[in-house]
Amino acid sequence: MSGSDVKDILELDRGPEKEFITKDALMNSDKKKKPARKSDVTFKRPEGMHRELWGLLWTDNRDAPPLIPTDTNQGYKQMKAKIGSSRVRPWKWMPFTNPARKDGAIFHHWRRVADEGKDYPFARFNKQPEVPVYSDLEYQQHLHDESWTRQETDHLFDLCKRFALRFVVMNDRWDREKYPDRSVEDLKERYYNICNKLVKVRAPHGTEPKIRAFDADHERKRKSQLVKLFDRTTEQVEEEEKLIEELKKIELRKKEREKKTQDLQKLITAADSNIDSRKADKKKTNKKFQQQQKIKETSVQTPETTGIKFPDFKQPGVYVRSQKMKLPVSLGQKKTKAIEQVLEELGIEYNPMPTEEITSHFNELRQDIVLLYELKLALATCDYELETLKHQYETVNPGKTPDVPLPENPDPLLEIGQSEDDHSRDAIDVVGNLTPNRKRKAALESTTAHLLKKMKNRV
Amino acid sequence: MSGGVYGGDEVGALVFDLGSMSFRAGYAGEDTPKADIPSSLGVIEEAEIAMDTDDIKKEPVKEYRIDTNSLRVPRKGMEIQTFLKDGMIENWDMFEQMIDYTYKKHIQSESQEHPVMMSEASWNVRGKRERLTELMFEKYNVPAFFLCKNAVLSAFANGRSTGLVLDSGATHTTAVPVYDGYVLGQAIVKSPLAGDFISLECRKLMEEVNIDVVPPYMISSKEPVNESQTPKWKKKDIPEVTTSFHNYMVKDVLQDFAASVLQVSDVPFEESGADSMPCTHYEFPNGYHRDFGEERIKIPEMLFDPSHIKDVPSNTMLSMGHVITTSVGMCDIDIRPSLYSSVIVVGGNSLLNGFTDRLNRDLSNKTPSAMRLKLLAATGSTERRFSCWIGGSILASLGSFQQMWISKQEYDEGGKNCIEKKCP
Repeated sequence: MSGSDVKDILELDRGPEKEFITKDALMNSDKKKKPARKSDVTFKRPEGMHRELWGLLWTDNRDAPPLIPTDTNQGYKQMKAKIGSSRVRPWKWMPFTNPARKDGAIFHHWRRVADEGKDYPFARFNKQPEVPVYSDLEYQQHLHDESWTRQETDHLFDLCKRFALRFVVMNDRWDREKYPDRSVEDLKERYYNICNKLVKVRAPHGTEPKIRAFDADHERKRKSQLVKLFDRTTEQVEEEEKLIEELKKIELRKKEREKKTQDLQKLITAADSNIDSRKADKKKTNKKFQQQQKIKETSVQTPETTGIKFPDFKQPGVYVRSQKMKLPVSLGQKKTKAIEQVLEELGIEYNPMPTEEITSHFNELRQDIVLLYELKLALATCDYELETLKHQYETVNPGKTPDVPLPENPDPLLEIGQSEDDHSRDAIDVVGNLTPNRKRKAALESTTAHLLKKMKNRV
Repeated sequence: MSGGVYGGDEVGALVFDLGSMSFRAGYAGEDTPKADIPSSLGVIEEAEIAMDTDDIKKEPVKEYRIDTNSLRVPRKGMEIQTFLKDGMIENWDMFEQMIDYTYKKHIQSESQEHPVMMSEASWNVRGKRERLTELMFEKYNVPAFFLCKNAVLSAFANGRSTGLVLDSGATHTTAVPVYDGYVLGQAIVKSPLAGDFISLECRKLMEEVNIDVVPPYMISSKEPVNESQTPKWKKKDIPEVTTSFHNYMVKDVLQDFAASVLQVSDVPFEESGADSMPCTHYEFPNGYHRDFGEERIKIPEMLFDPSHIKDVPSNTMLSMGHVITTSVGMCDIDIRPSLYSSVIVVGGNSLLNGFTDRLNRDLSNKTPSAMRLKLLAATGSTERRFSCWIGGSILASLGSFQQMWISKQEYDEGGKNCIEKKCP
């Protein structure tokens, strides 16, 4: 407690009457005491010094930077209030009237003496929306509506005023005993229609009045949709999700099937073109050039999945002809193995002497081998799928057999494969529709092995 | 005036909150009520007995015992009664006694100096509101009066003007939608599954397991006994009391039992899972004590799954989650998201252990997954029990509220039916 406080309490010589502190004085008490000192010398940033470094050295108050950290009331602490340095402002329990009230009722509250007589500060929050008022004449001339009586409309506008256009509350407080039940949209529609009509009628000639658009039908539709969406049960939501998933699956399968047929189509065309080219070759065996051309063509015609794409040497330069026979790396191990095996069976050298003729023939032969291999593979796949579908069909419609036209003369080679393969296929069929991919692959691989054997036998 | 920062301006208003459990009163702007008086009053028909106590207003025929201290004294022929019925004032005589007592003992100030803000049930009827207004202006001569729905006040206490207020109090649990500070009266849903129901079920349980609940007023001394042993206690020499008094005191013990033992399980109750629940020990006033295991979950489970209730057709009852969804389902589709995004849980019964967690779980199962669900529940028991009073305290001390009061002048001009217009 300072001496001045003691004096104050004892009401001893108070000295010159100090002013009551104001908010400004509290917050910015330092500012007055320190008049802005004008820096007599304006320093310029020396050339070559970084701006940031300059900023550190020369702050706004142009003081030299302190050597040790100091506790000043500058910076972030500027808003510190200085309390207790001056006398408090007196408060008084005083009556007041609130201009937001119409009745002029008098309440009492605590207020600073300095503020006595000022307006009630909270009255400015009293905001009311504008609700139009119509006269009898206006109602009769313009606002008549078959489904609304005058009383009901009056009731509506009364509610609008009381609840400040909160239509949900108005709908809740709607007098259902006197008037028919109305939805929120009905109320809004009537209100906005009347507002718009009044605006139109009252607008002076030649001016375009501002119209508030309210599409009640659209609102009703929107709400009914929302309600439908809201009222879905968990099961329904789950079912919908499941259906969407199913749809995705079906589409995926469809795509897969399409891709497969495309692949098959490619193979078939490749085979066909190969036969054609063979025929053509027979006719023009003598013309080496054309033959070469043909080979090129076939290799071009055959899609990338079938046959072998041998490297084409187009750039100028010297190269060894045996390079033309080199199998591309992209071929894959299985195919390479198949070729190797067949070549071995046939007793053909793996790397024959690369004369012009041998090169072309050898390449052609290997292409044919690969094509044959792929065709067999495709056949096996198709056959497998047919079997599964058949089985599926039988499980779905027991006792019936699907009348699918089966090839009349199945490849005898395939028959061998089938008979050998039956056990594995049965194993798969037991699993039925749920055949996992892994099993399918295994089955396919076993058929491939058989195929290779068959190919050997045949050749 | 605390200035523009908080928007507060105190005019010395009083806030009265009528609950079926207790009546709260205090000055607006404070954070807890000054007085929390039981809503039950002791009524003695013959006025000869106990004349010496001063704190009672004597009536020629009936004598009233108000507030905990005088209410709990065993007296001959004292019936325990309440002035409320279904959340609304039924016995005006008793209500006046209560107000008189509050002014005299707790407020200790003149009624004509303080505006009064009073809470009411959200479904209060016009006649009662008008009668209350008349009473306050004519008898107590208040300078200004305001009547506010308790759901609105609870919402304000939780900082919302829109939300669904689930008030689980003593006599009933209600779900009341509040939109922009107005109650949507058409969508109020009530359920009798509340605090008193829990007490009743506890009582049934005690009868089933043969525990004699002896309220403290009967006991003069007791000796410690081992668990589940017959208690050794001596009876006090007391006058013959009425059944209603005894029941009231027993209910008090059961309420304590409910608060300390009962536990709402997180997931729907299953017999098998109940064995693994930890037991809780409870000692009754007469010294008898034992563990409670399965029962502590079974009883509050009835709040959330009424099919567990015996001897009552379960389909007539609504569970806590159901009360909310039904109420929201009756509101306009446009405001449903804002209601679900602030479900406000208040009331003393919601203080049962695990109540809000279970409610949250039940609700999130029942609401569409796209709907944002938020449960607002004050953590403190005072805030939960007195939420309505606190809301009134906030509202009545707001500067912008001061224009809303029905002033004495307005009452004199407009009569008692101005309440319908001014306090929607």
